[in-house]
Amino acid sequence: MKPVLLIAGNFVREQRWPILVLLVWVLGLAIIGLFIDVRNNRDDILLIFKQLAIYGIAFSVFFGGSAIHNERKSRRILAVVSKSVGRQQYVAGLLFGVSLASGLYCFAMGMTGSWVLGGAGFPVYRLIYLIICLFIASVLAASVSVMFSTFFFNPLLATGATGVFLSAPVLAMQVLGSQWGYLLPVYSLVELFLKTSFYDQRPPDWSLVLVAGCEVVMFWVMASTIFAMRDIAVAVE
Amino acid sequence: MAAVLEYDGITKEYRSWLSRRTVRALDDFSLRVEAGEIFGFLGPNGAGKTTAIHLAMGFMRPTHGHGQMLGRPFGDAHTRRRVGFLAENVALYHRPAGPLVSFYGALNGMGGPDLRRRTREVLEAVNLLGEINRNAGKFSRGMLQRVGLAQAMVNDPELLILDEPTSALDPLARVAVRELLLKQRNAGKAVFLSSHLLSEVETVCDRVAVLHGGRLVRLGRTADLLESRGHMEVVARGIDPSMFPGAVRNDGLVSFDVVLSAQRATLERIWAAGGEIISVNPKRRSLEEIFLEITAEASKAAANGNGASPTLESRTQTGGGL
Repeated sequence: MKPVLLIAGNFVREQRWPILVLLVWVLGLAIIGLFIDVRNNRDDILLIFKQLAIYGIAFSVFFGGSAIHNERKSRRILAVVSKSVGRQQYVAGLLFGVSLASGLYCFAMGMTGSWVLGGAGFPVYRLIYLIICLFIASVLAASVSVMFSTFFFNPLLATGATGVFLSAPVLAMQVLGSQWGYLLPVYSLVELFLKTSFYDQRPPDWSLVLVAGCEVVMFWVMASTIFAMRDIAVAVE
Repeated sequence: MAAVLEYDGITKEYRSWLSRRTVRALDDFSLRVEAGEIFGFLGPNGAGKTTAIHLAMGFMRPTHGHGQMLGRPFGDAHTRRRVGFLAENVALYHRPAGPLVSFYGALNGMGGPDLRRRTREVLEAVNLLGEINRNAGKFSRGMLQRVGLAQAMVNDPELLILDEPTSALDPLARVAVRELLLKQRNAGKAVFLSSHLLSEVETVCDRVAVLHGGRLVRLGRTADLLESRGHMEVVARGIDPSMFPGAVRNDGLVSFDVVLSAQRATLERIWAAGGEIISVNPKRRSLEEIFLEITAEASKAAANGNGASPTLESRTQTGGGL
């Protein structure tokens, strides 16, 4: 477990500047709350938060898709995997690192939202539920992205493949029915955020969160298995 | 002696998806490195040295064959806890040197006061203790190489695998690293050293192997390789240098080379001329000369369509064997 935590912490440290920019951006919304009448502009504010939710997913996909590529390209991966670190621990460390970054982003959204949206009359308990959904959706999207990055070392290919893969259940939902949303529930979880309103009275449904949690483990196992079979370094000569 | 690193008939091929081209980086490669020795691993660029090292570290898998490191198959994560590795063109995270070395030690399961003590010890050994709080991102290439060596040694490894560890070092640092390697050997540890700095290999390595085109073309004890079999160096006094081709006079002593088969006749000629024999020793050549000769031979053999070294078998028998 120790190597996983070290690699995760190191990932967050290495990505501290993009993470900081994202956090400042989210927390900057709190400033808006100081200058505008939130009750009269509450639908606009909610729309901004919905956009932030989409960005959160996009960033976690990008972080996940580029993590292995960046380490390989910089050759820093060699010093890490030359230690007593298994491939599954390495992948778990990166995934946990992306999850930490997503967690910080979601936490910042939760803090800002509870103040700004809460001030506009949005139920805080509902916001917490939606933030948890967004967090688990981000982690699932990142795990898919990491999985693709183990065989598409190019981050653009990995990100593109993740986008296509995550879109498939959306099409299936449209054509075959909403139950297909459970197949890969990233969209279904984000949809809860996107379709919420100040009048949303639906009780929290934790089944999607549970399915997503199980799938995170499944994609981590797949990513580890594939990565264990890959050559991670080539001769520099 | 126990083998700490063993390659057994390993072949490694790189395949390109697009061009469907296959490059054979290592071809039926076998080698045994034993505990308590410094082993020099030589070869021209593209010979397959780095591939061989990366296979041992488990960064890649062999296409055929297998190998063991400290008694466990290549790629075993637990075994790497007892191994130190420094990559060519070392790349490390941008952190202060102390926390950086500690980070790599912690990845090897170290922690607490032991890790703090070891971090200071290895940084002192590479003469970087004064820079413990300075960010490695601001280090020169030589300093980076030294901190790379520190992270490789932080776990007090039984086997140290170093890929070009001194290429960016100044002569002073190079001497310090050389002493460090000798200290490792004296402590019963093994060092597997890949280097283009032949003078350094010549100085510290007990055995050397030369790789060419993915094949092992020479293996033996360094002292044996440096000894020129079939050539003797004769030093005599009281003779005319013109008696022997290539003879030179220096401080009254005449020295020249002679082939082994003509040694007896040569000595008799010196005595017959009233001269005095000072010494007759096997001629020593530099590792550089030998390296150039081996690679030229191997290139010639490859050009003639015979990839296998014509000299390996005979030379290994006289040079220490596999």
